[in-house]
Amino acid sequence: MEKLISKKDLLEAANISYGQLYRWKRKNLIPENWFIRKSTFTGQETFFPKEEILQRIEKIKNLKDDLSLDELADMFSPSPTITSLSADELVKRNIVSSTAIEMYNTHHGNTATFSFDQLLTLYLLDTLLQTGEMNRSEGMELLHFLQQHANEITGQESELIFIRKMGVSFFILTPEPAKLLVESQTKIIAHYKLNKYIEELKLKLS
Amino acid sequence: MEKAKKRNISISGSGTAAGGEYDQVKVNGSAHINSDIECEIFKCNGSAHIEGNIKTATAKVNGSSHVEGNMEAREMIINGSTDIDGNLTSSEVKIQGSSTIKGDLKGKEINVRGTASITGNVSSDEIDVKGQVIIGGDCEAESFLARGHFKINGLLNAGNIDIELLRLCEAKEIGGENISVKRNLDFSGFKKILKFFMGQEKDQLTAEVIEGDHVSLEYTHAKVVRGNTIEIGPGCVIDRIEYKQSLELDENAKIGTQEKI
Repeated sequence: MEKLISKKDLLEAANISYGQLYRWKRKNLIPENWFIRKSTFTGQETFFPKEEILQRIEKIKNLKDDLSLDELADMFSPSPTITSLSADELVKRNIVSSTAIEMYNTHHGNTATFSFDQLLTLYLLDTLLQTGEMNRSEGMELLHFLQQHANEITGQESELIFIRKMGVSFFILTPEPAKLLVESQTKIIAHYKLNKYIEELKLKLS
Repeated sequence: MEKAKKRNISISGSGTAAGGEYDQVKVNGSAHINSDIECEIFKCNGSAHIEGNIKTATAKVNGSSHVEGNMEAREMIINGSTDIDGNLTSSEVKIQGSSTIKGDLKGKEINVRGTASITGNVSSDEIDVKGQVIIGGDCEAESFLARGHFKINGLLNAGNIDIELLRLCEAKEIGGENISVKRNLDFSGFKKILKFFMGQEKDQLTAEVIEGDHVSLEYTHAKVVRGNTIEIGPGCVIDRIEYKQSLELDENAKIGTQEKI
C-alpha cells in the first residue's frame, strides 16, 4: 500500500495554503485521482499519495516563477506536446545517447526527425540501457513492443514494467497504478511510471 | 483554390434540412436538422431539433431548441429553452431562459439569469448566477458569484467565492482562496413576492466541508470549516472548525469544536 498523507499534514509539510492547493487542482496541476477521500472521526478527509504529491508540489514551487500555471499544466499532463527534433540535435543536447538512436534506426529504418511519441520511446530505451540492466536484444524487443502499443501509451497514465526470470525477460504495459505480485525467482528490473518520464522529457525539451 | 461561399438556410414554417456547413441558419418556425451542422450564425425563434452536433460562432435561441449531440459556440444567448444531450463549450454563455445540459459545460464567462441544470461538470473563468443552477458534478471557476439558489453535488472550487443567500443553497464541498457567504439583505418587493410563492424557506447554505484561506460565513450549516482566517457570523451551525491564524465567532453561532492548528 502506498503511503498516504492527509491534506492537513500536506499543507503543513509543503508550507502551502488551502487556496493554493485548490488553485493548482483547478489548473490541473494535480490529477483528480490523487484526491483520495476517506471518512475519519472528524468527518470526511482528503488524502494524497505522499511521495508523489510532495514531489509534484516541490516541482510546482520551483518552476512557477519561470512558467505560467498553464504551461506547467501542459508539462504535467500525460498528453504529448507537439515537438519534433532531429537526431543530431538530440545527441547534441544530451537528451538521449547516440547508441539509442542507432538502435531505433535499425528497428524503424532511418528517422531524420522524431515526434514526441517517438522521442518518448527513445527516451525510455535510453534510460533502460543506461541502467545497464537491459541488453541490446531486449532493447530491440522493447522498441517492437512500444511500437505495437503506441496508442495505449500516449494520453494515458500507464506504467511500464520489465521483469526477468531465469534469463527470460518480459515487458508489461498497464494502466496506473499497477500492483504487481511476482514469484520469488522473478526479478522486477524496472517499474516506470510513464507520466514521470513524459514530465522529465518535456523538461529536457523545453 | 478559392473557397466556395457558404450558403444560408432559413426555415420559416416547418421544414427539414440536412446538416453540413452554412453561413447563417435561421429558424422562424419549426425545423429539424438531420445531422451535424457547422455555421457562423445560428438563430432560432421557433423550435429547432438538431440530431447531431452543432458548431457555430454565435448562437441565439429565443424559442426552444434541442441538440442531440455536443454544442460548440463562441458566444451563446438562450432566451428561451435549450436542451443539449452532450457537452456545451462556449466562451460566453448567457442563459436567460432555461437550459438543460446532460454533459459538461465549459466556458470563459457563464451568466445565468434563469435556470440551468447541468448533469456533468462545469468549468469557466467566471460564473455569475442570479437565478437557479443545479450541477451534478464539480464546479470550477476563478470567480463564482451567486445571488440565488444553487445545488452542486460535487466540489465547488473557485478563487473567489461570493454567495448572497436566497433560499436553500447546497454544495458537497467548497474550496478556494476567498470564500464569503452572506444573507441577502435586500427586502425589496421582488423578494417578498418570491417568498410568498416559494413558501417561507429559510436562506441557508449547507455543505459538508468548507476550506479556504479567508472564510467568512453567515447562515451556513457545515460539518467542517478549515482555513487561515475564519469569520463566523449569525445563523451558522458548524460541527468543527480548524483555523491557522484567527477565528471570530458571532454569539448567535452554534459551534461544536474549534481548534487552532
